[in-house]
Amino acid sequence: MLSLHDVQKTYEMGETQVHALRGVSLQLLPTQFSVIMGHSGSGKSTLLHVAGCLDVPTAGTVEYKGRDLTTLTSRERADVRSSEIGFVFQKYNLVGNLTALENVGLPLLLRGKSAKYASARARQALDLVGLADRKNHRPSKLSGGEQQRVAIARSLINEPAMILADEPTGNLDTGTGERILDLLRGLADDDKIVLVVTHNPDIAGMADLLVTLRDGRIAAQQSLEVVR
Amino acid sequence: MKLNLFRLALKNIGSRRTRSWLTILGVLVGVTAVVALLSIGTGVQQAVLQQFEDIGYDIILISPIGGGTQGGRGAVGGFAPGTGQSVRAFSGQSPSPPQTDTSTGGTFSPDNLGNAAANADGNTETAEDLRDALRRAATTSLDTQLLLEQVPQLIEAGTLGTQIQPVSTESTSGFLRVSTPSLDFLASFSSVLGGFDIAEGASFANSIDNQVVVGARSAELLQLAIGDSIAIGDIPFTVVGILSSSGLQDDNAGASEGALSGQGLAQNLGTGNSADLVLRGLTNTDDALFVLNERASEVLAGRSMMSVTITRVGGGAPISETKDAIQAAIGQQEATGTPISIQEVADEIQGTLGMIETVLASIAAVALIVGGVGLMNTMYTAVLERTREIGILKSVGARDGQVLILFLFDSGLMGLMGGMLGLVLGSLLSVAGTRVLGPSLGVGSFAPVIDGWLVTGVLVFSFVLGALSGVWPAWRASRLNPVDALAAE
Repeated sequence: MLSLHDVQKTYEMGETQVHALRGVSLQLLPTQFSVIMGHSGSGKSTLLHVAGCLDVPTAGTVEYKGRDLTTLTSRERADVRSSEIGFVFQKYNLVGNLTALENVGLPLLLRGKSAKYASARARQALDLVGLADRKNHRPSKLSGGEQQRVAIARSLINEPAMILADEPTGNLDTGTGERILDLLRGLADDDKIVLVVTHNPDIAGMADLLVTLRDGRIAAQQSLEVVR
Repeated sequence: MKLNLFRLALKNIGSRRTRSWLTILGVLVGVTAVVALLSIGTGVQQAVLQQFEDIGYDIILISPIGGGTQGGRGAVGGFAPGTGQSVRAFSGQSPSPPQTDTSTGGTFSPDNLGNAAANADGNTETAEDLRDALRRAATTSLDTQLLLEQVPQLIEAGTLGTQIQPVSTESTSGFLRVSTPSLDFLASFSSVLGGFDIAEGASFANSIDNQVVVGARSAELLQLAIGDSIAIGDIPFTVVGILSSSGLQDDNAGASEGALSGQGLAQNLGTGNSADLVLRGLTNTDDALFVLNERASEVLAGRSMMSVTITRVGGGAPISETKDAIQAAIGQQEATGTPISIQEVADEIQGTLGMIETVLASIAAVALIVGGVGLMNTMYTAVLERTREIGILKSVGARDGQVLILFLFDSGLMGLMGGMLGLVLGSLLSVAGTRVLGPSLGVGSFAPVIDGWLVTGVLVFSFVLGALSGVWPAWRASRLNPVDALAAE
């Protein structure tokens, strides 16, 4: 379980302070497909970054497996990202000069695994998302949907407990978006914590937990198990 | 893990090929310059030292320069006046009015006879000027037999005189350096004259006949063959031997392409250091004529311009003490001269060469630093361009240190590639350079020194230079906030 307690995040923009999060408390559970919605600037991406150890909150705690992630060093946060978290971004964020296979295997290489092992595991992951035949293509030669599936394969390569997705269907057509959401939904069913940040209301219908953010605060929080 | 980062760095270099090559080129130029200069410089040093080793470090040279209570080595006018020896006017040659000869028609020209020589600058010398120069340069010869008795540490001694003489054959005439080695000199110190290697004919048969051995280039210029006659200072001599070529460049080349300047040479001998004397005056046998000292002292008496006595220390006697003993013996003979050990001459030359090498290498190092700055610029630009990629790496678990190492590998590899290519190019350049420089430096043909230390040093240095150039950009990259990096376009 990932627990956020009274998380606040304030950015300094010159002499102005921007309060992106103003005391958010939230619990994310395995098998739960959680969706955070809100308008632009509501703080949903910041919440995902804080939850995923990409950023440190100004105040509050983020607890996971009994540890407060906000107290970790930069190196420890990197290790948590490497072993516990898989990210999926709206812009896919693949490394342009690496092939699909190399992109997927990258997290394993950074953990010191051998290139051979990383390659074999990456092949399996690409097979899982239906891209085995596109493994030697660079991102520029792949469609948006294919790139996002490569990104999902990469997020799964370290067998993380959490998948955090920021607008995963934002750049995709409806059909492709639905297939990506099905993939993410399936991951939740595989006992992973899945958190999707979006302002696409169609995704809300798939959520087990729907959180609506407004001006850095939780405006609404609904458990929607009935929807499933 | 480091190996994985190394592979990633290689991928990065390959993905921006043009810029990487341009950056590598910057390092390559610097390394090429350093390698070429160092290998040539070390090669020259070794070649020069080899010459001294050939001569022998147990040799003490008694230079006519300075000595006694007179000025030190190298002082102008340091030659002592001769003891009864003087330069007489060249008989049969009437002094002509000064003329300017800019024809640069070669070492020998009939027109130059009697006019004295015209140097390349177009300055003229009268016969009187030349006589003055020779008189200034005249010196006392030591009695070598007496010297051996006076200084028991010495086992051998010989005298080598040098004169500038008007010479003429049937077809041409001019001035030439005439070396006058004594018989004991040839027996003991032929290595000083490059082994006195006879290519045609034979060495001196006796000291009774007027025999001359001719240097290779002189023989060519004068079109001399064994048995030919040549007049040296109006005295007829018969060519009995022709030396093999030493491989050195014309000792007058560069200074003058025209006729040999007697005054110029006299001044060179008066002001040049002892190293010059050994290397240029003695070892370059190609442009000289050789007449036995014993014969020259009779038929060319009074024309001796300079004589160098060479001695060999025996039985491992200390060089410095022997030098002191020689100095005392010179005083007792009421002669002039300064004993100089070959080691001192070698040290002097090595010091000078080392200094030149350091200066040249410093200039080359500047080129290398410029290459390093170019590398830093490339890496800094790469960090800016790859900010988003850094964010991606961090989001998938890369630690700050890994990002740092990745960028250091990146820049270090480019430095290393520049180093490797520079090493190859510098080596080729140095091989070509030595072929051109060897003869002009007076050390004949020599090989550049590209040893394991240079190779290892260059490769390590270029990698470190590359990595150091990338430290600041890499550090910046490693410190990037992943969220900010991911937001970069």
